[in-house]
Amino acid sequence: MPSKEQLRDVEPVSDSESSDSRDEEGWNDIEEDEEEVQEVISLLDDRVFPDVMSMLVHCKEKHNFDFLAVRQRLQLDFHGCVKLVNFIRQRVHEGLPVSEDISVADIDHEQYLKPVLDDDAVILGLFDLPELTPTGLVSQGDNAALVNDLLKQKADLQEELARVSAQFERYRATVSQTLDERWGDVDQADKGKDSAQKGEKEDESQYYWDSYAGNEIHETMLKDTVRTDAYRDFIYNNKHLFAGKTVLDIGCGTGILSMFCARAGASRVIAVDASAIIGKARENVYHNGLSSTITLLHGKIEEVTLPVDKVDVIVSEWMGYCLLFEAMLPSVLWARDRYLRPDTGLMVPSHTNLWTAPVADPDWVADNVGFWHDVYGFDMHRAMARGICDEARVLHWPRDRLAGSPCAFRMLDLYRVSTADLSFTAPFASTLDRDVDALDGYLVWFDTFFSPTRPAATAPADDAVADAWAAAAPQERVAFTTGPAGKETHWKQGLLLCEQSEAAGPAARKQGDRVAGEITFSVPEDMPRGLAIKMTWDEGRRSQKWSLK
Amino acid sequence: MAAEKMDVEAAEAKLKNMAHSEQHYFNSYNHHGIHEEMLKDEVRTKSYMNAIVQNKHLFKDKVVLDVGCGTAILSMFAVRAGAKHVIGVDMSTIIFKAKEIVQANGMSDKITLIQGKMEEIELPFPKVDIIISEWMGYFLLYESMLDTVLYARDKYLAKDGMIFPDKATIFVCGIEDGEYKDEKIGFWDNVYGFDYTPLKETALAEPLVDTVEVKAAVTDPCAVLTLDLYTCTTADLSFSIPFKLSCRRDDFVHALVAWFDIDFTACHKPIRFSTGPHTKYTHWKQTVFYIKDVLTVQQGEEVVCNLEVRPNDKNRRDLDIKIDYLLETQDVTRKAQGSSQYKMC
Repeated sequence: MPSKEQLRDVEPVSDSESSDSRDEEGWNDIEEDEEEVQEVISLLDDRVFPDVMSMLVHCKEKHNFDFLAVRQRLQLDFHGCVKLVNFIRQRVHEGLPVSEDISVADIDHEQYLKPVLDDDAVILGLFDLPELTPTGLVSQGDNAALVNDLLKQKADLQEELARVSAQFERYRATVSQTLDERWGDVDQADKGKDSAQKGEKEDESQYYWDSYAGNEIHETMLKDTVRTDAYRDFIYNNKHLFAGKTVLDIGCGTGILSMFCARAGASRVIAVDASAIIGKARENVYHNGLSSTITLLHGKIEEVTLPVDKVDVIVSEWMGYCLLFEAMLPSVLWARDRYLRPDTGLMVPSHTNLWTAPVADPDWVADNVGFWHDVYGFDMHRAMARGICDEARVLHWPRDRLAGSPCAFRMLDLYRVSTADLSFTAPFASTLDRDVDALDGYLVWFDTFFSPTRPAATAPADDAVADAWAAAAPQERVAFTTGPAGKETHWKQGLLLCEQSEAAGPAARKQGDRVAGEITFSVPEDMPRGLAIKMTWDEGRRSQKWSLK
Repeated sequence: MAAEKMDVEAAEAKLKNMAHSEQHYFNSYNHHGIHEEMLKDEVRTKSYMNAIVQNKHLFKDKVVLDVGCGTAILSMFAVRAGAKHVIGVDMSTIIFKAKEIVQANGMSDKITLIQGKMEEIELPFPKVDIIISEWMGYFLLYESMLDTVLYARDKYLAKDGMIFPDKATIFVCGIEDGEYKDEKIGFWDNVYGFDYTPLKETALAEPLVDTVEVKAAVTDPCAVLTLDLYTCTTADLSFSIPFKLSCRRDDFVHALVAWFDIDFTACHKPIRFSTGPHTKYTHWKQTVFYIKDVLTVQQGEEVVCNLEVRPNDKNRRDLDIKIDYLLETQDVTRKAQGSSQYKMC
């Protein structure tokens, strides 16, 4: 919602976090601009004046050079005045004398349209000079009136200047207060944008940050009670792990996890997000009186400058569809290696594992694939159903439409896993629990584990099931599943629909039959935030690829 | 097929050069999901089908233009109704799927499909007898293609030519929606024990596309705007219209809800469908505008309102909407007046 952001930009306090081109240097620029308006350098010496009129009065009194009189005599328009100013500056620069008997021919060169001084405040101030009096009307009496007019205008301008200066001082005070309180608290996203423009791969990610700028996606996530309750319960049930600690929240969104940590006693929380939603997070943090604990940084975790060297806890809700879609985990792992205190640092959550199970649901297939055979009497199948089995679908699949036992095929230990490990091939096996006419596909989901202690003894087993693992130590452990047996989450499940080909032989399978093979996760080269899944089964006779875009 | 592939690539290159917001609009239609949803919307598709195939006397031997043809379903209905030739135009690359579909149904010689913007392409016929188009967006006008239809009308429609559909009406009524308003708007007051009111303002400014139960209606519906597609202009798509809602019963009003009806008046037996809460579900659902106050109304009272709609200056597919409301009563404790700004984007 770009327009809303711009609205907020009007308010100085929230300005420092907005996604516009404001960074630390940006603030300095503004100050300099404002100060230059005040600094009018004399045409004839080095003295500095608050405005053009007082400078011209000085030139007249000190150097006997009446700029306005010369202007009047030569009947100079704005461009003429610019040329006159630069002509004088050029002569002064070359050490030549300047007298009032300048002719139009002297200054009538294009070169004098080019400022001799950069950002010459005199030129900017020309707009404020009194109107030129038409020739023939200037008498001695008029001159006196003109001087009076000028003095009045001078007084008005000085008043205006004082008002603007005061306003700017207040503005600057507000800004520096904000910056002083939280020195790192500035918009570092623009650095990211600059470099993003250099590399195309990164540039493609902008849509990803943009997609998190609106309300709706955050409403969906916050209202996903399975997700949000799990983080809350772990943080609130284990306050001793957070009390007095420094916490890093990666991809903070509206700031909910940071606020949980702050309320659990964290001494400092650093919340990072590259999306414009961080503006709302900042407001939320402020409204809840947690500004002194939570520092918000707008930018990519790899590019922002943290105000600390190490953190005690990394909390992040990085999980995507089929766990690894959107590829946020590599950023979390990067931050772990760079910032998490070795040996004692805590990852929240600490483990996730991936699951799959075969599915069979002829009604669903008829509604979603067969549909295209007869659309109001027209056949659209060839065009519209082609590729239907190439993309993984995100949907909620009922438990009773599974055809066999779920299989945990990959555990990610977030203390040890590396980005390279996120592309992998793993075996899977399932036993059918009913007769099916055909294997329609596979369902993929994940479980998430929050362990209060660093690995080894308390780490969940590779095939740990969320509920059972948490139930073993309900006071401190938290875990949740996104699978079909659990309460629906916003992640739903991923459906990998299988092509039905007659060449593959009879499709029907019996209860007790084993379906086994390998599953491969990888990142497509052209889609750094996408996900490619490949499955091979029936002793390698069947194989299929899906992508998630 | 090689030539087709080049077409697709050229079209994609063209899309890449467009402004991001435009690109998003056209690209979002490339996915199957939206076409599946629209085709499976029976109220929509059957109304068009009936309007076309039940009026063979109107379509026989006519040249027809299908604006924003998508999967070409309307074009094929027109061929089935006896059209001499149909030109389908769509900016989205879905049109290459449409070509396959038309071919699979043996209509390639009857339907010419052109990928591009109506304003930029050249039609193989100087004039057309009938324009068919399913151009309606949420709240009728959001992301709608009506301006393109009007352009096509002015440039290509023969004198006495027909437009299917040719009339659209926006309705508004007041609803009791306390529970859901609390869930959508009140939610931000307390999120897991935290004050989230900054997001509440945003939530109030976002009209909600959702289904409303007819029993929620507290006032009579009021037809706020009727567009006659033969005469209206793009200027008519920015408007500010006063209207009154008469209250049917003693109740509370938490929101105004808007929907639209669509008429095919050229049909032998006029065909109309509605996207209102009183009738069958459509993929357009209804559009709910929560107001800041809760109006306490009595049967027979009137709420005086004004609806202002303007395309956003920066992205003309977004809408800036303003609703003013005034409840005049003798009872000062119930008197209410307010104004809310919304943005559909």
